[in-house]
Amino acid sequence: MNKELLIETKQLQKKYVTDTVETTALAGVDLRIAKGEFVAIMGPSGCGKSTLLNILGLLDSPSGGMFKFQGEDITHASERQRAKIRKHNLGFVFQSFNLIDELTVEENIALPLAYLGVSKAETEKRVTEAMERMGIAHRRNHFPQQLSGGQQQRAAIARATVSSPSLILADEPTGNLDSVHGREVMALLTELNEAGTTVVMVTHSPSDAEYAHRIVNLFDGQIVTENLNVRKHAAELL
Amino acid sequence: MLQNYFKVALRNLYRNKVYSAINIAGLALGVASCILIFLYVQDELSYDSQFSDADRIVRVAGEIEHDGQTNKFALSAPTLAPFLLKDYPELEHVTQLLPANKQTIWYKDRSFNEDKLLFADSAFFEVFDYKFLAGNPATALDQPRTIVVSEQMAQKYFGSPDKALGEVLKFSRDSYRVTGVFTDEGNSHIQANAFLARSTFDTQQQDVLTDNNHWFMLSRYTYVLLRDEAQIAPFQEKLKTFAATHITPWLKENDLQASVKFVLQPLRSIHFNTEYTEDISTPGNISYIYIFSVVAVFLLLIASINYMNLATARSAKRAREVGLRKVVGAYRSQIIGQFIGESLLITLLAVILALALAQILVPTFNSLTDKQFNSNFFLQKEVIVVLLAIILFIGAVAGSYPAIFLSRFKPVDVLKADKAPRGGNAALRRSLVVIQFTISLILIIGTLVVFSQMRFLKNRDLGFNKEQVLIIDIPTGDSTLVNQLPSIKQELLRNPNIEHVSNSLNIPAGDLSTILVYAEKDGGTLQNAMNAMFVDYDFVDVMGIDLKEGRNFSKEFKTDLKGGLIVNEAAVKKMQWKNPIGKRIQMADWDAKVIGVVKDFHVKSLHSKVEPLILALTPESSGYLLVRMKPQDMPATIAFVQEKWQAFDTKHPMEYFFMDEYFDKQYRAEEKMLTVFGYFAGLTIFIACLGLFGLASFTAQQRTKEIGIRKVLGSSTTSIVLLLSRDFAVLVMVAILIAIPIAWYGMDKWLQDFAYRTNLSWWIFAVAGLAAMSIALLTVSFQAIKAAMLDPIKAIRTQ
Repeated sequence: MNKELLIETKQLQKKYVTDTVETTALAGVDLRIAKGEFVAIMGPSGCGKSTLLNILGLLDSPSGGMFKFQGEDITHASERQRAKIRKHNLGFVFQSFNLIDELTVEENIALPLAYLGVSKAETEKRVTEAMERMGIAHRRNHFPQQLSGGQQQRAAIARATVSSPSLILADEPTGNLDSVHGREVMALLTELNEAGTTVVMVTHSPSDAEYAHRIVNLFDGQIVTENLNVRKHAAELL
Repeated sequence: MLQNYFKVALRNLYRNKVYSAINIAGLALGVASCILIFLYVQDELSYDSQFSDADRIVRVAGEIEHDGQTNKFALSAPTLAPFLLKDYPELEHVTQLLPANKQTIWYKDRSFNEDKLLFADSAFFEVFDYKFLAGNPATALDQPRTIVVSEQMAQKYFGSPDKALGEVLKFSRDSYRVTGVFTDEGNSHIQANAFLARSTFDTQQQDVLTDNNHWFMLSRYTYVLLRDEAQIAPFQEKLKTFAATHITPWLKENDLQASVKFVLQPLRSIHFNTEYTEDISTPGNISYIYIFSVVAVFLLLIASINYMNLATARSAKRAREVGLRKVVGAYRSQIIGQFIGESLLITLLAVILALALAQILVPTFNSLTDKQFNSNFFLQKEVIVVLLAIILFIGAVAGSYPAIFLSRFKPVDVLKADKAPRGGNAALRRSLVVIQFTISLILIIGTLVVFSQMRFLKNRDLGFNKEQVLIIDIPTGDSTLVNQLPSIKQELLRNPNIEHVSNSLNIPAGDLSTILVYAEKDGGTLQNAMNAMFVDYDFVDVMGIDLKEGRNFSKEFKTDLKGGLIVNEAAVKKMQWKNPIGKRIQMADWDAKVIGVVKDFHVKSLHSKVEPLILALTPESSGYLLVRMKPQDMPATIAFVQEKWQAFDTKHPMEYFFMDEYFDKQYRAEEKMLTVFGYFAGLTIFIACLGLFGLASFTAQQRTKEIGIRKVLGSSTTSIVLLLSRDFAVLVMVAILIAIPIAWYGMDKWLQDFAYRTNLSWWIFAVAGLAAMSIALLTVSFQAIKAAMLDPIKAIRTQ
């Protein structure tokens, strides 16, 4: 693995402290993800996979250890710095889609560009492209609740990719979808990855994990196994 | 980006119609009231500001101390003016106004009774620069028998101000040529329909003013224009020596035991000064300005609280959006900006609605306050500034709390479906509800106290019978008519439904005469200024006053004329007479004995205690004709009186009124306060309930699952309604406990204004508390019942 590193963590820790109880969500995670990789994180409920994804996505900060993003140590970055990195480099896809109910499909997709200060004409162009790529251009003026689950998730992916981020973080992206729509979404993520975007995905589903290059198994806040997806690599080799 | 915020805000408003309606309607009501209150306050504070030299004009008022009592008079003696002008070079002008009696004025075939007529000297318009529509203010009042009329009066007599100049108005004694017309613009404590040249009066009345140096002849309002505003304080200081050099020797010379002090009243303060008797017009009441302003702030506060409470209560619904915006890179400051912008938008909508509302309410408000605001008030620069300030204030203050609160959400916490946050800080929301209800309760209690005091005032035995007395205002200066009074009375008494008829100079609630008397006391004499009413033989009977000792005036006793007086109990007490009958009293050219004592009766409003009073017999008194009627068939009796009177008086338009209404007019300010209080109390409780309604529906929603579980476990609908209502009932209870002492203190102070007052009885507080509680529970129970009736299975499935 001599490719350029996008993410590097060392002894990453996360502890939650409530009134009397201290819970360890991550107990020293060492992870290296190269640019262009597609990584699936798996493990039982409560193993810390979502926590890890949130930290990798700069939505949460670690309690200990070190976290480098694009070679820069951002373990102790301020909220404002992290927001800045998020808006320029990251795209998120959630299990429950998380589209804003009061905005149309088109407006939802345009949102990241608005915070980036992209011009109106450029926004228009990029949003249209993203919608066409996801096959939802005919739904541009609909509100999220008027869409099927699959369409909502495609809109969410369009939103995650419209700003051409270097990393897409997906948290159970097929969790709320039936198998047909689930496969569609996985195909889209694969497509994005093949176009050069790094994808990190948390999933329960072994079949979804099959799409990844590498599967990281977490248990009790620690990485227990890290496997190359043999079948995938074999397919690539053929 | 702004466009995006705007869309989200509007769509949010549209989707949550109930919440939006509560917020916007509540704010609009609050703002509309604020606009009206602002207009009122601004109008009241504008008195006399239209005069260019307002800052340099002061009125010289007097305080006379006598027998340990200080009386403050707005009026001063005619002789004051020449002395002031001579002694003080810092005075640019001194001018005096002399109020004239009500007059009938004829022009061609028209005639009207006019009041608010003032004699003014030629310096008057030098001091007060009235705007003239016609004529020259510098010379208008130079000649005798000239008159400067108001725009309104010119309109009434001549059809237009342009046609007024040179026309002649006929008074009963003289004719006056119109030399000017002034505009009615602006508010002034000098309420005048016309100014008459005082030179007319001075030449005519020279014989009456025998004692031109009489310092106690308080008949004129004296105004001075100083050369410089800074000289007011030094001038006030110098006036101390003025009294010492000019008045003290005169007091000694005339053997008067009193001391005189002069007080300067800056022009613009006169309107709110209620201390001085016989002021030129009824002063305004500064406490209403305070009360109104406080109420305005309260209303805004209550409406803002609704906004804050509902916004944070509903925060769960917006949390996902906040989280998402942060995920895609929004800074916290951007989120705060978005929510403040949203509250600015809501406030803006509310203000637009408020303007429409205020427009509709202007006529009602005018009749409530006796003002004439017109409906394009919002074009006023000041109003626009206030509205902008309101938008910014509410938008920023009410908007900042939810904004800060919402922007604090972490995406990690809010984006998971099962981790929706609870809606905001419940404790803060509860305290805000308590504040709202405390304010509402104070106003409800206030309304009830004013109401019960008004009832007390109207039902109290005044010591005379004010019902069924018709009073005719006898036109002044018509000696033929006065000579015919005995025949008129005889004619009226032919009607069996007329019991008594009396003519007198004074009536209750009208002006009393103040007279310097020397009364017999412990062998010596006591000098005293006393109130007197000049009446005829029938006055005591018409009024239904009870005689306590002695007898009424009688034609059988010739000595009663200038030789007999009746006093009231308060006078007896003041003189400390054990046997009042036969005691000697000297006043002016009277040397009289007390022939009777009447029980105390209220000549003035119940604001003041019954004061010592003398009834003096002057059968030719020609102020008013009082007709006591039987209750039967009153309309016919009134028509009869009108017919008979007009048969004798063909020249003047007849003016009559009823004694009970005339007396109760003294409580008009309180009546107004009652109405205003009532309106505002209703409004605050309504806005508070709007908020409560929203909160209750939020709580019910939030507790849907709990309600479902309780129902599955066998809880009844009633017990669930109780459960949901209890929390709110506790808040109202706390508000009651806070409001009662505050309201008690405030209303007790208000009641101190009355010499005779009702008690702050417990029922007022009980009724107010019960009313607030019932209204609150009614509001809440609607939502509670709705929630309790929900199918438990559905209820559990939510979330």
